[in-house]
Amino acid sequence: MTSSIFNLRFDRRKLLKGTAALGALQVASPFIIQARGETPIKIGMVDPLTGVYAAPAGNEVMGAKLAVEQINAKGGMLGRQVELLVEDSANDVGTGVQKARKLIERDQVNFIIGDVNSGIAAAIAQVTAEKKILHIVSGGHTDSITGKDCKWNVFRVCNTTRMEANSVSNVLFSKYGKKWHFITPDYAFGHTLYDACTDDLKKLGGTVTGNELTPLGTTDFSAYLIKARAASPDVLILLVQGSDMINCLKQVVQFGLNKQIHVAGTQQELESLAALPPEARVGVWMFEWYWKQPGVPGVEKFVADIRKVNNGNVPTARHWFGYTSAMSFALVANKEKTTDAVKLAAALENFELPDDVKLQPNKVYYRKGDHQLMTSAFVGEAQSKGKDDPEDLYRVDEVVPGDKTAPAVSETGCTIQWPA
Amino acid sequence: MMTQLLLFNVTNGLIIGAFYVLMALGLSLILNLSNVINFAHGGFLVIGGYIAYTITPYIGFWGALLLAPPLTAIIGLAVERVLIRPLYGRDPLYSLLLTFGLAFMIEDGTRFIWGPQGKPVTIPAFLAQPLSNDLFFITGYRLFMVVVVMIAVALLFLLLRYTRLGVRIRAGTLDLETVAALGINVGMLRSLNFAVGIFLAGLSGVLAAGQLGLEPTMGTGLLMPSFIAIIVGGIGSLPGTLVGGLLIGVASGVTAVFFPAASEAVIYVMMAVILLTRPRGLFGEEGMMS
Repeated sequence: MTSSIFNLRFDRRKLLKGTAALGALQVASPFIIQARGETPIKIGMVDPLTGVYAAPAGNEVMGAKLAVEQINAKGGMLGRQVELLVEDSANDVGTGVQKARKLIERDQVNFIIGDVNSGIAAAIAQVTAEKKILHIVSGGHTDSITGKDCKWNVFRVCNTTRMEANSVSNVLFSKYGKKWHFITPDYAFGHTLYDACTDDLKKLGGTVTGNELTPLGTTDFSAYLIKARAASPDVLILLVQGSDMINCLKQVVQFGLNKQIHVAGTQQELESLAALPPEARVGVWMFEWYWKQPGVPGVEKFVADIRKVNNGNVPTARHWFGYTSAMSFALVANKEKTTDAVKLAAALENFELPDDVKLQPNKVYYRKGDHQLMTSAFVGEAQSKGKDDPEDLYRVDEVVPGDKTAPAVSETGCTIQWPA
Repeated sequence: MMTQLLLFNVTNGLIIGAFYVLMALGLSLILNLSNVINFAHGGFLVIGGYIAYTITPYIGFWGALLLAPPLTAIIGLAVERVLIRPLYGRDPLYSLLLTFGLAFMIEDGTRFIWGPQGKPVTIPAFLAQPLSNDLFFITGYRLFMVVVVMIAVALLFLLLRYTRLGVRIRAGTLDLETVAALGINVGMLRSLNFAVGIFLAGLSGVLAAGQLGLEPTMGTGLLMPSFIAIIVGGIGSLPGTLVGGLLIGVASGVTAVFFPAASEAVIYVMMAVILLTRPRGLFGEEGMMS
């Protein structure tokens, strides 16, 4: 045994053969690539695959991968194959920026998608603007990305915090009452969302009974909930997200608060509802996309395609974000027959998504002026158990088009500076 | 109104503190005897929670509560034998770095096995409701947690006070060299002590999964308060850890009434004040960390 290993390592003939093969490979490889056409077009994706946003980030990547597979099956982009390069931002701004630079400088990607975290998304946008790379923010919601910090090369698929607030404010006010108490995560996303909600509430004539600012990653919400109940509001609005949402909602229900005060909020996600025990799936919310849309073209096929790669589970809004981001690049590039970022960015303005990509009833397009996707809000209520499917944890009451939820471009604070 | 709010939050703080105590006692045990600052303690908590989640369908919540902690302890024992034991002779910095890395490995490991998506954990219905309408924050489950913590603490102190293992652990904490010279197998002592510490982490994990979202990062947010409990209470003193845990729970609860945004920061401020005015902590012995 030992001797055969020894022979393997030092056999002169094998070594020669190996060297010859290696040489042949080097000569042959350019030929193979030429025969296949040109080098692939690369899409780089930066998302927090580790850390607290790992679940939504993983789903966005899964959606983008599906899109790339479908693009390639239909002949690719400009006749070239598309390759998706994924990097982990580890939910850290510095790491995210570094990974984006690596994708652009070393891997020479043509497009960038990312990030779930608003702060990282905004920082990456600085890099992509500097490097003149077309960039779609898949899942970071803070207003400024398509607001005062908007850029010619940056487009966004998910909603802004204003759009989220506007989609549910009226319903909550008219149905549940005018005294609202907020549980707000103490960082950029939470603050902008809170401002948006309270602006709406003021316009409607309601009052804020209090705002509990909770640090990101809070595990125990009892102290805040004690305060909230003492203020006796009509509605308790939870603006927290991810694991904070799960912890908070779980405790709200264990305390029985949902039986005394209406529990609601803006953005809710299937990832969070799925992680909650059935009794804690309560409240009125908005989803940014929902998998169960009977009769809407393309949705059933998309759900079936994701189930194949997702252990049989249905797609969430995050899957759709990733999918739509990658698809948008291919659609616009194939239409314009170029990969030039400036030309494509101009072409994406007012670009309307086709049925098999938008996967929702209303008109969906990237708005000229702020580059925000005018995508619908799925307003409805969480349900503890699905009737036909265990993952049907949400009942959609209304699909509000993006045009109705988004403030006018003039109110966003965005002025796009195109490169000279 | 204000008094009531304050009273509510003191009570509530004691409940939260009780949970930190459970975490911190495990950390403290390991630190005192083996000089290992176990940054992976939160990871073991998560393992305990996931084991409970996995076995609950077969043996129910109560079975999982009994079985998950010892299973976690067994994993801890294996980790101690393979990874931590070789580092005992060295500077504590080595084991600190090791457990720091281990924490990331456990987080990614649980993500690999159970997926990044959080898991729904259901607790028995009669525990999942408040005891009274006024004291709504005292749910059956939270009261149950306090009782479990009390039982665990009582058992731990009995173990340390009256059993041979306990006497040896306490002796080893004071002077390990002499204990070794007396012919006691120090390696075995450290292993068992580590296992007891991880048992407590596993128990914390099962309890935490009942009221928090069970996901790979669950341990991170719970680890720092536990460290602070030890520092405030005094390194080397288990009663100190007990008091420290309750104290930071109450402090963060009371702060939430007046200045909610600082309720997390207040425990760090407390730590800083303690370190400046009484570096050994409230009940600590001088020079434990030197």
